[in-house]
Amino acid sequence: MAPVLRAIFGYCFLILIVRIAGRRPGKQMTPFELVLIFFIGGCTLTAMVGDDRSLTNAVIQIVSIALTHLVIIWAKGRSAVFGRIVDGTPLVLMDHGKWHTETMNRMRIQGNDVIAMARDQGFAALDRIEYAILERNGEISIIPKSQE
Amino acid sequence: MPSADSESPTKPVEDSASRVDDDIAVGFDLAFQRRWWRFEFAVWTVFTTLVVLAMFGCFGRGHFAKARTAAHDGSLDVQYDRIERFGSPSVVTVTFGPRAIHGGKAQLWVSESLMNALGNQRVVPQPVEAILGDGGILYTFAATKPPATAEFALQPRAVGGANLQLRVPDSETVNARIFVMP
Repeated sequence: MAPVLRAIFGYCFLILIVRIAGRRPGKQMTPFELVLIFFIGGCTLTAMVGDDRSLTNAVIQIVSIALTHLVIIWAKGRSAVFGRIVDGTPLVLMDHGKWHTETMNRMRIQGNDVIAMARDQGFAALDRIEYAILERNGEISIIPKSQE
Repeated sequence: MPSADSESPTKPVEDSASRVDDDIAVGFDLAFQRRWWRFEFAVWTVFTTLVVLAMFGCFGRGHFAKARTAAHDGSLDVQYDRIERFGSPSVVTVTFGPRAIHGGKAQLWVSESLMNALGNQRVVPQPVEAILGDGGILYTFAATKPPATAEFALQPRAVGGANLQLRVPDSETVNARIFVMP
């Protein structure tokens, strides 16, 4: 019982931490952020495994995590609110030449992050962009101005 | 040849995502996001509080966790952690007073919570004798004169409160209330 509960708790706690730590543009993940993710995972692993290093424990915990994952996916499909809690919502960072400063500050994203993603998607300047949207997976979508 | 529609069920595409400027379907929900940001702030506040409390040892292994108790008759002095952690090693140090040493030996009765909840792993020095009974264990150590100290290496195996009782025969009982964190 305890290994199953530890695995479920560890999985849910990691989801909370990653969700709370905030979205950063995925392609711009720095070594610092990579270290953070691996380090949190390692710390969680120690408590989950405890002193039971058996193959049985590993299989039980992996299966528990897989089932928890499945339940969360199922719940996301059943409840839009739960889906928004787990995944968040897309956020508009810029539209029609105006930065959404509250969103950018709260999400700890700077204009340079958006400009870099725009360049990455083939836009030479911000004046050719209609919208910049921070997606749920941390990517920034750039919508060009319509040709009139 | 059957059409694709007849092979698998379908339904019309419904664009339920909220739009920005009635132009682009994003699913943007600023009201929800503002509630989430408030929740985030509350969680960060809790996390900060947890870290500060942990630094002071409120969850074990720190200044606040250390405790000391003694028998009023001076027979026994016990240093222990009032907050332990499940499965983590710690040490209870027992110092015998002059009244505890007679005829080249010191005796100490310890309640069985030392073995059960607190998971005693070993006793240093090795006792000459260990007798079970009276809801605990009576250890006999070879001793000359004070100060004389014995250590119990613990590794708690039950979460929650545990009451550790220790006494030198015919002396006052010392109570050490210990909480084991998950």
